[in-house]
Amino acid sequence: MRVLVVEDETALRDQLRERLTREGFAVDAAPDGEEGLFLGREYPVDVGIVDLGLPGLSGIDLIKQLREAGRDFPILILTARGNWQDKVEGLEAGADDYLVKPFHVEELLARLNALLRRAAGWSQPVLTFGPLVLDTRTQSVRRDGEVVDLTAYEYRVLEYLMLHPGEVISKTELTEHIYYQDFDRDSNVLEVFIGRLRRKLDPGGALKPIETLRGRGYRFTLSAGQ
Amino acid sequence: MRRSIHFRLLMAATLVLVAFLGLAGIAVERAYHSSSRQALREGLLASVYSLLAAAQEDERGGMRLPEVLPDPRFNRPDSGRVATVTALNGDYRWRSASALGRRLAWPSASLEPGRPVYGRLKDAEGHRYALIQFAIVWELDGGERRYLISVAEDMAGFDAEQSAFRRTLWLWLAGVALVLLLAQGVVLRWGLRPLRQVANALREVEAGRAERLDGDYPVELRGLTDNINSFIDQSTRRQTRYRHSLDDLAHSLKTPMAVLQGALERQDTGCEELRRTAAEQLARMQAIVGRQLQRAAASGGRVLAKPVAVRPVVERLIASLRKVYHQRRLEVALEVPETGAFRGDQTDLMEILGNLLDNAFKHARRQVRIRAYTKDGGLEVTVEDDGPGIPAEMREAVLQRGTRGDESVAGQGIGLATVREIVSAYNARLVLTDSPLGGTRIVIHWPPARTH
Repeated sequence: MRVLVVEDETALRDQLRERLTREGFAVDAAPDGEEGLFLGREYPVDVGIVDLGLPGLSGIDLIKQLREAGRDFPILILTARGNWQDKVEGLEAGADDYLVKPFHVEELLARLNALLRRAAGWSQPVLTFGPLVLDTRTQSVRRDGEVVDLTAYEYRVLEYLMLHPGEVISKTELTEHIYYQDFDRDSNVLEVFIGRLRRKLDPGGALKPIETLRGRGYRFTLSAGQ
Repeated sequence: MRRSIHFRLLMAATLVLVAFLGLAGIAVERAYHSSSRQALREGLLASVYSLLAAAQEDERGGMRLPEVLPDPRFNRPDSGRVATVTALNGDYRWRSASALGRRLAWPSASLEPGRPVYGRLKDAEGHRYALIQFAIVWELDGGERRYLISVAEDMAGFDAEQSAFRRTLWLWLAGVALVLLLAQGVVLRWGLRPLRQVANALREVEAGRAERLDGDYPVELRGLTDNINSFIDQSTRRQTRYRHSLDDLAHSLKTPMAVLQGALERQDTGCEELRRTAAEQLARMQAIVGRQLQRAAASGGRVLAKPVAVRPVVERLIASLRKVYHQRRLEVALEVPETGAFRGDQTDLMEILGNLLDNAFKHARRQVRIRAYTKDGGLEVTVEDDGPGIPAEMREAVLQRGTRGDESVAGQGIGLATVREIVSAYNARLVLTDSPLGGTRIVIHWPPARTH
């Protein structure tokens, strides 16, 4: 999942970038509204975190302009003042949720995951595909009730595929949503991740949850439900 | 820049004055002219009568005028008044001695006897004359003869008199206008002096040399000065409060800072212990900052506040909350008439309703209800839900700042404490009870606006 962080406070921005990267997100971070607008327009962002009190182009205007440009990824606003005037203005501008500073990063992650799930059309926090169950709250995956031990990146790859079941996801798309901008796209790291995921999810080789379409990409083959 | 009131009044007064005096001058001039002309005509007619009175009879019974007339003006060549008497059949023609040197083309006409006819005349040198002609029937023995008496008066005298009058008139009017304008200017300066005093007093306040607008102002300005004074008082109070809050904030942050510093400086503090101390003190600092922010949020009513319509604020909040609590499919009953108005700051209203509705959305099972009514001249807002409610013994604690009624749902206590801070700044009442829906009901009652 690709997340855009627009925050002018360097310490908080670095802290968020570091933590979100560790959680397996591809992070694009911008120190001001203008750069945030550029990144939000040009990159396939899945979710945005926007501080309302930005210098120059304000958070509210940034959100408005992103929405006007047709970018509809969910946006979480951060507000230091925490009054309702700000929250309402932010939500009216096109944001989807708010968080008042100071906040716990765990709270932020929970909100981000909820927003991503909601954007993908899932109202439940738990995604069930036959024997595979992915819980976005705990970011854990179980197969037949057994916990499957995944790294943060493996989890993100699987989550992205499971949130778009049946769709052909190109390597480029998957890479863009999993890694930040300066990632070397020619490397075969993604193939390595997919291979490891297949081994962990389907050690017997009977389920075949992830299909490779040569030259086109990957597809999550299982259908939702029991 | 807009023109000053002084300039406007002076300009308007000047225009009115000039128009009025101009028209008055023209009217007086006309009246004088017409009465002078009337007097001139009467003089001419009197001359005719004096000629008739002086007329004698000749040996044949015809009309003859003497060499010297009783009216000396007919005898002096420079008098400007000339006369001629002619018999209609042409056998008699008389001219007054004053006509010497004047060549006048007397018009001859057959006129009805006994009726004077007035006209104008010009001589060869271009002098203008006023003319009267009067026909008479002279009785003879066994017959009658007709004569035409003409008298002309040189207009030079009349014209000179007219222009002398005109000059005097306009000079006086101009003088009067000048005096009136000066008086107007003085009156305006005097009348507008309180406004200048207010402006000066405001400058004094601005410069910090005065606390408020002192002095006795006329009744028309007292509303303004009183309002400015209460505005100044309010901002002074607010400033004092801000200063105190900042003071409090700085002082109360010093303790946790000191603890942190102490922990850092102690050589034997373990990493784990340091982490715990830091977390504790950080929580303390957050609580302090939160408390001060709550205080700062409560502005406590505004002077000259425009009433804020309640319904749009509620609608915006509900739309926003629906977005945030997207996954909760709640029924929201909105009983807020369009006329419901809040006398205060919109930010305060939004803060109060935002916190109450947020709590209701958080705790409700299926239903949230908000009502706003005007009651006894004040405003009463009720927010209720069908959630688990707050046990009676917990209510006071929930309203205290910083405590949370339900640890599993973050931030509820802070919200209600903020609401209470703002509500008390407005002298409003907050009551927390059970709702017939099953959950919490919060009623806030604002008293009617203070009347001055």
